[in-house]
Amino acid sequence: MWDRLRESLDLTLFWEYRAILLRGLLQNIYIFLAGAVLATVLAFVIGVARLNKHGTVRLFSTGYAELFRNTPEYVFLVWVYFVLPVIFSRLLATKVSFSPYVASVLALGISYSGFLSETVRAGILAVPRTHIEAAMALGMSRWMIMRRIIVPQAIRRMLPESLNQYVSLFKATSLVSLIAVEDLMYQVSMITVHEMRPLPLYTGAALLYCGIIIAAAQGIQLLSERWRQRGWA
Amino acid sequence: MHSPSPDARHATPKAGPIIRVVNLHKSFGPLEVLCGISFDVQAGSVFTLIGASGSGKSTLLRCLNLLEQPTSGEVYLDGKPMGFRIEADGRRLPDTAANISRMRSELGMVFQQFNLWPHMTALENVIEAPLRVKRFTRKEAVETGRHFLGKVNLLDKANEYPARLSGGQQQRVAIARALAMQPKVMLFDEATSALDPELTGEVLEVMRALAKEGTTMLVVTHEMGFAREVSDRVIFLHNGQIEEDGPPGVVFSAPKSERCRQFLSKVLH
Repeated sequence: MWDRLRESLDLTLFWEYRAILLRGLLQNIYIFLAGAVLATVLAFVIGVARLNKHGTVRLFSTGYAELFRNTPEYVFLVWVYFVLPVIFSRLLATKVSFSPYVASVLALGISYSGFLSETVRAGILAVPRTHIEAAMALGMSRWMIMRRIIVPQAIRRMLPESLNQYVSLFKATSLVSLIAVEDLMYQVSMITVHEMRPLPLYTGAALLYCGIIIAAAQGIQLLSERWRQRGWA
Repeated sequence: MHSPSPDARHATPKAGPIIRVVNLHKSFGPLEVLCGISFDVQAGSVFTLIGASGSGKSTLLRCLNLLEQPTSGEVYLDGKPMGFRIEADGRRLPDTAANISRMRSELGMVFQQFNLWPHMTALENVIEAPLRVKRFTRKEAVETGRHFLGKVNLLDKANEYPARLSGGQQQRVAIARALAMQPKVMLFDEATSALDPELTGEVLEVMRALAKEGTTMLVVTHEMGFAREVSDRVIFLHNGQIEEDGPPGVVFSAPKSERCRQFLSKVLH
C-alpha cells in the first residue's frame, strides 16, 4: 500500500521522459494559443452582435452563444472532427477532412467563444452610457467610439472574468488526445504502454498543468494590478 | 488677449443668430417635456436657462446637439439645419451620421457628471477628439490640449488619470476637452450641480473667464448668482415652455410671470 503511494508520487519516471512530455505539452500550448485567438475574435464579433439594434442579428448571435456554451467540449470536439467534414464534403461536393490539430483549434475556439461572448457583452454594457455621450458630443463616429472609448474600458473590466475562461480553455486542451493529437496526455498514455507505470506519469501531468495555470494567472494578476494602480477602476 | 489661433473664433462676429431654435417639441412616450420652444442665441452672448427640476432645461440642451432627437421642430447652427437636410423638392430628410457628427463637433458640451474617460489621462482626454475628429497631428493636438489645460489652470495635472483628480478638477478638464475642439458654442448642462459647494467656485471661475472673453455660451444652471452676473439673457422654463425671457436684471428683479417669481423666491431665499 505505502509502496504504491510512494511510487505514485515519485516523479523520477516523469522527469526521465521530460523531452517527449515537453513536446506533448507544446502541442497543448499551440492549440491553446490558436484556440484563444479564435475564441477572442469570435467572442468580440458575437458579443457586439448581441447588442445590435436589429432583432435578427441579436437572435442569431444569442443562439450561437447558447448553442456552444451548452454543448460539452468533448462532444463538440468529436463532432467537429468526425461530423463537420462530412457536412462540408456534402456541401462542397469534394472530400474534406480536418487534421486533428485543425479540428481541436476549431472546436475549442468556437466552444469558448460562446462563453467569452457573454463576458464581452457584459464588459461593453458596463461602460457607462454617459462616457459614450461625451464622445458623441465631441463628434466622434460610432466606430471611433467603439474602438477608442468602449473596447479599451470593456477589456479592463472583462479581464478577471475572461481569465477564468482562458484557464478553462487551457484545461480543455487535455481533451485533444482523444482525437489523437500528440499532446501531453497522449504522450503519457504512450509511455504508460511502454513502462506499465501510469501512476507517476498521471501525477506529473496533473502537477504540470496546475503549475502552469497558477503561474500564468499570477502573471495576469500582476498586469491588472498595474492597470488598477494607474488610477482607475 | 490677441494670442494666435485657438481663440481666433471670437474675432469675426457674424450676422444672424449662431443658434436658432424653432418650435421645438420633445416627448418621451406620452410625456411631453418640451412644448414648442423657440429662441435665438446671438454669437458672443451668454444665454442662461433656469427652472425647476423636470422643467425641460437639460432635455432642451441635449436636443441642440441631438443627444436627444427632437420630436418635431428645428435647430439651426450658424444657419445650417441640425440633424436634417432639405432636398431640392422641399422634402425634409434625416441627415447622415457623418454630418451629424460634424455638426456636433461644433458644439462643446459640458456634463453634470464630467464624463471624463477613466482610461485616459487628463491630456489624453483633451486631445482625443482633436486627434480623431479634427485629424490634427499629434504635435498640434498636444499643443492645443496644453493650451486649453493651461486655460483651466490644470497644466500640472496633464498626466494624471481622472480618478486622481477632484471633482472640480475633473470638470475643468472636461471644459478644456470641449474647448479643444474650438466649438462655435459651449453648452453647460448643470456643470456645478454634482460638485461639493467648496469646489463649485473654481469651475464658475473658469466659466466666468470664458464669458468675459466673448465665448458664446448656453448655460443650464441652479447658480442664480452666477446667472445674474454673467448672462446677457435669461430664460425661465416651466413645464416645457418659456415662461419668462429677458435680460437678467429684469428676470431676477421684476419678473412678469407669477411662476417665475415663486421659483426665484424659493431658490434665492
